[in-house]
Amino acid sequence: MIMLLTGMLATAVLAGGVLALAALGEVLAERVGVTNLGVEGLMALGAVTAVMTVSSVHSPWVGLLAAIMVGAVGGMVFAFGAVVMRANQVLCGLATTFMGLGLSTALGHSYAGQPVETTFGHVSIPLLSSIPIIGPALFGQNILIIPIYLLLPLVVHFIMFRTRHGLNMRAVGENPAAADAAGIPVMAMRFWYVTLGGAMAGMAGGYLTLTYVPVWSEGMVAGRGWIALALVIFAGYRPVIVTLSALLFGLVTALSFVGQAHNWPIDPAFLNMLPYIGTMAFIIVPVVVWHRMRRVMAAPAALAQPYYRDVR
Amino acid sequence: MATRAFQRLPTAPAGRILALRLVAIALSLCIIAGVLALSGHSPVMLAELILRSTLGSRFGLEDLALFMCPLLLTGAAVTVCGTIGLWNIGAEGQFYAGAIAATGVALGLHGPALVMLPLMTIAGILGGMAWITVPTLARAYAGVNEIITTLLLNFIASLLTYYLTTGPWRDRISGAQVSTQRLSVSIPEMWGIVHWGFPVAIVIVVGLALILSRTRWGYEIRIGGANPEAARYAGIPVRLRIISVMLLSGGLAGLAGMFEVAGTVHRLQGGMANNFGYLGIVVAVLARGSCLNVIPAALLMALILDSGIVMQTQQLSASVILAITGLILFMIAIGDELAHYRPVATTPAKGKAS
Repeated sequence: MIMLLTGMLATAVLAGGVLALAALGEVLAERVGVTNLGVEGLMALGAVTAVMTVSSVHSPWVGLLAAIMVGAVGGMVFAFGAVVMRANQVLCGLATTFMGLGLSTALGHSYAGQPVETTFGHVSIPLLSSIPIIGPALFGQNILIIPIYLLLPLVVHFIMFRTRHGLNMRAVGENPAAADAAGIPVMAMRFWYVTLGGAMAGMAGGYLTLTYVPVWSEGMVAGRGWIALALVIFAGYRPVIVTLSALLFGLVTALSFVGQAHNWPIDPAFLNMLPYIGTMAFIIVPVVVWHRMRRVMAAPAALAQPYYRDVR
Repeated sequence: MATRAFQRLPTAPAGRILALRLVAIALSLCIIAGVLALSGHSPVMLAELILRSTLGSRFGLEDLALFMCPLLLTGAAVTVCGTIGLWNIGAEGQFYAGAIAATGVALGLHGPALVMLPLMTIAGILGGMAWITVPTLARAYAGVNEIITTLLLNFIASLLTYYLTTGPWRDRISGAQVSTQRLSVSIPEMWGIVHWGFPVAIVIVVGLALILSRTRWGYEIRIGGANPEAARYAGIPVRLRIISVMLLSGGLAGLAGMFEVAGTVHRLQGGMANNFGYLGIVVAVLARGSCLNVIPAALLMALILDSGIVMQTQQLSASVILAITGLILFMIAIGDELAHYRPVATTPAKGKAS
C-alpha cells in the first residue's frame, strides 16, 4: 500500500509538473488581462525544440533553455497580435496553437519516435528524499521538481500579492483604463507578461520531453495546454492554488497509469480519458455545488478585452 | 491636442475588411513562399503544381467538393454558436460523436438505404447534440467557460473512436487498422466521387442564413449575442436560446461526421475528423458571423486542404498545412482589427472636426 502510494505520488508530481509550469505561465498572462489560447502550440514547440537541441548539444540545461527561448518568441508573436495590434485574443491564440502544432510536427519529423538520450537524470537529495511517501516524489526525482513546485509559485505569489509591482500588474488586468491613468504602462505590462507566460509554456514542453516522456511524437502534448488553461480557471487565477491543482491533476493521471499497471478491467482508452473527464469535473462541479465560488474565483475583470486608450 | 492620425470605429466597413484580408492572405503567402524557398523548394513551381492539380483537374475539383462538405457544416456550427457570442471549439468531438452514432446504426441495423440513411442522419445529429450537452448545460446554468469544456470533449471523442475502432467495432473482415468494416449503406454519389451530402450541406447553410436573419428566433439569438443584458431586459429567455443554439451547433457538427462516414470514408476510422472541427473555427472566422459567407470561406479552406495533398507529394509534411492555416488566421485576425481604423485629418488643438 505504501509502495503504491509512493509510486502514485511520484508519478503525480512528475506528470503534474508539466501542467504546473504551463498553468503558472498562463496565470501571469491572464492576470494582466490576456487569455493566451496558444499554450498548447507553444508547449509542442518547446517539446520539439528541447528534443532537437539535446540531440546535438548533450546538455539537458541547454535543451531546456532553448525550449524557454522558443516559447518566449512564440509568446511574443502572440502578444504582437493580441496586445500590440489588439486583435481578437481567441483568434490569435487559436492561430498560435495551429502554428505551434503544425510547425513542431514538421520540424520534429525526423526525430519522431526516437528516445531522447539526454534527459534530466535522477537526483536524490540526502535526508529529504528519505521522508516516507512524499520524500521520493519531491526530492528523489529530477532537479526541476523543487523549482516548479516550491520556488516558482511562491515567488510569483509574493510578487503578485505583496509588492507594488504586483498590485500594478493586477490593476492592468482588472481595470486597464484606471491603471493607465495612474501611469502604469498597460501595453508593456501585458506584452512582457504574455511573453513570460509563453516562455513558461515552452519550458513546460521542454520539461515534458526532458523528464517525463523522453521521446518526441506528433500529438504528444495531447491537450495538456488546454488542461493547463482549465486549471487556471479552476484555481481562480491564483499561483499557489494553480500549482496545487496541477498536482491534484497529476494524481488523476497517475491513477490511469496505476490502473493500466495493475490490469484493472477497464480498457486503457477509458483510463486515458480520465484526465480530460477529470478536468471537466474540476471546472464544472465546484461552481455547481457552491454558487458563491463563481465570485470568489472570478476572472480578472478585463480578461480578454483589448485595451484602447483612445476609445472611451 | 487632438492630433491622432487614426480613429477606431466600433464597426469595420465590409469593403475595408475584404481589402485588408486580401492583404493578410497575400502577406501570409509571401511568408510561406519565403520559408519554402529557404528550405530548398521552388515556390513558383509549387504554386503552379498546386493550381494545376486542384482547380485545373477534375480529381482536384472533386476533392475540393469533398473537403468543402464537412467544412460547410462545421463552419456553420461554429458560426451559429458565435451568433450568440459563444465559441464552440468542440466541433471536432461532435463530428466524431456524429460519426460514431451513425456508424452504430449502420452496424447494428439492417435495411434498405432509403430507411437506413435517414436513421443514420438522425443518429448523427443526435450524437453531435449529445456530445455538446454537458458544455451547454454548464454554460447555461453555471456560466462555465464553453471554450474549454467543448475542447476537452474532443480528446475524449477521439479516444472513444480509437477504442471502438480497435475494440468492439474493429474490422474483422479485411483487418484494416483502427477502422470499422466498410459500411453497407452509403450516400449516393452525384458527380464523380462527390456525394449528395455536398448539395445538402449548401442547402442547410443557406437555410440557416434565412432562419437567423428572418425569424424571431434568429433575431433573439442575434440580440442575445450583441447585448445579453438588453436581451434579458427585453424578455428574451437568453438561457433557453443559449441551450437551443449550442445544441443546434452540436447537431450540425454531428451531421458533418455522419456525411463523412456515410459519404466519403465509408467506415469509422481513428483520426478521420482530419481537423475539420478545428478548421470549422477558421471558416467561421472568415465568414464573420454570416452563414452565407460560410460558403466562400469553406471554399477557401478546402482549397488550402486540397493543396495540402499536393504538398505531401512534394515531401512536405501534411502538418505544414496546419501551420499555414494558423498563419493565415493570425494575419486575418490582425487585418480585421486594423479594418476598424479610419484615417482622420490631423487638426490643430483648437480646430473643430468637420
